[in-house]
Amino acid sequence: MAKHGADEPSSRSGSPDREDRVSEDRSLLHQRLAVQELINTEVSYVHMLHLCASDIRSRLQQLPQGDLDVLFSNIDDIIKVNSRFLHDLQETASKKEEQVQLVGNLFLEFQEELEQVYKIYCVSYDQALLLVEMYRKEPELQQHIQDIIKAVVPQAGSSGLSFLLVIPLQRITRYPLLLQKILENTLPDASAYPVLQRAVSALQDVNTNINEYKMRKEVASKYTKVEQLTLRERLARINTHTLSKKTTRLSQLLKQEAGLIPRTEDKEFDDLEERFQWVSLCVTELKNNVAAYLDHLQAFLCFRPHEYNLDIPEGPAVHYCNLARDLQLEAFLKFKQRLEGLVCQPLCSLAKALLGPQNLIKKRLNKLPDFERVEEKLLEVGSMTYEEQAARHTYQALNSLLVAELPQFNQLAMQWLGQILCTFVTLQRDLAKQVLQRAEGSMAQLPHHQVPEPAFRKLVEDTLGRTSNQLHSFQETFKKVRPPPTTQPLLPGSERQVQALLSRYGPGKLYQVTSNISGTGTLDLTLPRGQIVALLQDKDTKGNRSRWLVDTGGHRGYVPAGKLQLYHVVPSTEELQRQAGLNEDPRCLTPEAVRAPVPSIPTANQVIAAYPFVARSSHEVSLQAGQPVTVLEAQDKKGNPEWSLVEVNGRRGYVPSGFLARAPSPVLWGWNLPS
Amino acid sequence: MENSSTLSKSAVKISVDLLSNPLCEQDQDLLNMVTALDTAMKRMDAFNQEKVNQIQKTVIEPLKKFGSVFPSLNMAVKRREQALQDYRRLQAKVEKYEEKEKTGPVLAKLHQAREELRPVREDFEAKNRQLLEEMPRFYGSRLDYFQPSFESLIRAQVVYYSEMHKIFGDLTQQLDQPGHSDEQRERENEAKLSELRALSIVADD
Repeated sequence: MAKHGADEPSSRSGSPDREDRVSEDRSLLHQRLAVQELINTEVSYVHMLHLCASDIRSRLQQLPQGDLDVLFSNIDDIIKVNSRFLHDLQETASKKEEQVQLVGNLFLEFQEELEQVYKIYCVSYDQALLLVEMYRKEPELQQHIQDIIKAVVPQAGSSGLSFLLVIPLQRITRYPLLLQKILENTLPDASAYPVLQRAVSALQDVNTNINEYKMRKEVASKYTKVEQLTLRERLARINTHTLSKKTTRLSQLLKQEAGLIPRTEDKEFDDLEERFQWVSLCVTELKNNVAAYLDHLQAFLCFRPHEYNLDIPEGPAVHYCNLARDLQLEAFLKFKQRLEGLVCQPLCSLAKALLGPQNLIKKRLNKLPDFERVEEKLLEVGSMTYEEQAARHTYQALNSLLVAELPQFNQLAMQWLGQILCTFVTLQRDLAKQVLQRAEGSMAQLPHHQVPEPAFRKLVEDTLGRTSNQLHSFQETFKKVRPPPTTQPLLPGSERQVQALLSRYGPGKLYQVTSNISGTGTLDLTLPRGQIVALLQDKDTKGNRSRWLVDTGGHRGYVPAGKLQLYHVVPSTEELQRQAGLNEDPRCLTPEAVRAPVPSIPTANQVIAAYPFVARSSHEVSLQAGQPVTVLEAQDKKGNPEWSLVEVNGRRGYVPSGFLARAPSPVLWGWNLPS
Repeated sequence: MENSSTLSKSAVKISVDLLSNPLCEQDQDLLNMVTALDTAMKRMDAFNQEKVNQIQKTVIEPLKKFGSVFPSLNMAVKRREQALQDYRRLQAKVEKYEEKEKTGPVLAKLHQAREELRPVREDFEAKNRQLLEEMPRFYGSRLDYFQPSFESLIRAQVVYYSEMHKIFGDLTQQLDQPGHSDEQRERENEAKLSELRALSIVADD
């Protein structure tokens, strides 16, 4: 409705002034109309928005929430912005003179907000359309939707949901046109003119930006996904189109390498890319290192000293066990968990986030030859085909997207890295604090906790020195091999033999047989256990050190060295004294002059008959138990030591050696072996 | 023990790699932070080495020494066992002869066997006695023996971790990280992640 009175048709006069004023008035009228149109349409627009958002949406509750979000995306935000806009618009109506200017200013004010809010809606609009198509294919659902729409918005007719959803898009593109209309009808010298001009260009910018944003989003979503294709799938993708595409790129690259055509260098982008590469390197390295650290930590925790029991009931050992257990179960476990959650996981997410940009950078690089070719063609020819234009746009979109967002990405990534590192450090400190608390607690219970560290170390050293000596002594004790019972009972009657051997060879050469030897070879001796022999040579003629040549006092031969043991001739000086001072047994003969160099005779036992023996032949002699006998020879003529030649009661004969025993008693001295 | 060395070394590796990254050249703050971290890690490694040495000296070696007594002990036990066998054998022989009728030869053999038995029995008893005395003493000595080792172990931990606490405490103050709780940190991480995801160049998954 025209408000101003300036629109009454003025009287037609022929003066140009008047005509101008008429046209002026007319344009003013149009201007007013245009402004009014703006306001009116805005009113109905906002009303429609409300209908969509509240009534229709609420009745479509049967659809999943995700779908609803996509369909109506940020329509609520749009409503908020546009309601405020409308309100302000309606306020300007009161200020009649400056209305146009105010309107212009209003648009400039709202420019940023409008752009922000509408670009989001535009981006999701495509997806919304896809959904609507999907619904269209289900007749029941479609009918239901139609009914709802018809109920709420009768004038929508049968156009469906898409009609409603496209309204915001239409609106935002209409603003520049509306403004343009107002501008056309404004006098160039009006104060509002420059403002309007600016407003018009501003809104046009808004639209361009929204388009650009949309394109970037499309490109980004197309190329950021890393496609995991099998070889087969990759092969299937090859067709003439891709082949030609790739060959042209390759030729372009080759031409560049050859220097035929200049390579477009984009320093800014290269710097950005380099920085990005560093960031990704940093992230991956850190991630790997932390993973390795965790692995080592795990290995470290595998060692569980507190599970081994030394059976020491109290004292520092118990404290240590408890400490170790606590540490393992609590402190370190917590540390590990925190490390995983607060350091590893973010690093992994960060590393994953790197993939998108990496892909995009790669794609851009791939498309660069296309772009260059198209640019060339443009320079030469001045026009390009539709595909070429598309290629050009794609490349430009990629480029601008990366240039716009990579710096942000780099910065965010770096900040996050910094945070993660700080967290890592803090975690270490907390671990140290925990362990320290516990360890100090344990230490306070130790006996020496007051002692300062260097003094303690000295103390420990000394103690350890002492105890290691103790251990050493233990070891020695256990190592000590007690000699096996060396004093094997000598076959009675062999003392003489021993003496003879002793006299001939000396004490160091006497050996005792430790187990029965049966000789196999011609020169080997057969000896019973306990026999004393004298060593002649500790090897045989062939140089074999395990066969020794020995003298038994009667026979000589070889015996295995392993069965010989050094015989310690047992001196018993008190016996000797006893012997010396003894009065003889009336039956013993006076000692005669000792024959040859017989040194102090160590034998101190008198041989007696242990058991009675009845002689069965003339060679044998009878014995009575307890009778003292004199052993003449400890073996018979054949060398068999089972029999001994003894003299008893003046008679001589053979008796079994086993029947004889030694008894401590004054020894019969002076008997010589009959030579 | 090698485990704790490898652990320490891998911590050092973290900081060394970070330092070598060219980013550090450009960004002064980052460089400072990473250098500080690196110094800290290297110092910790040195302390760790010290701790390992100390423990080696006061715990591992005594343990080994203690363990080395056991072979001799086992040998001694074996010898006793052998002596026991001999004793039993001879004892059986004596009993066998005692059961036979007391004829002359038998008596002689019996006597001889008894003679043989005597020293063997003495030997066995001596060995037995020795072991009975020494083994408990040895076993008991472990109580006193290991006391200093465990003390030393605990103390070494205390020393190491107090150093660690100090170093990392300084570092956290230097790096200007306020004392956030874990939930706060998680929230921060989430926030950063969503900021990154808001960029179109980052793929959503």
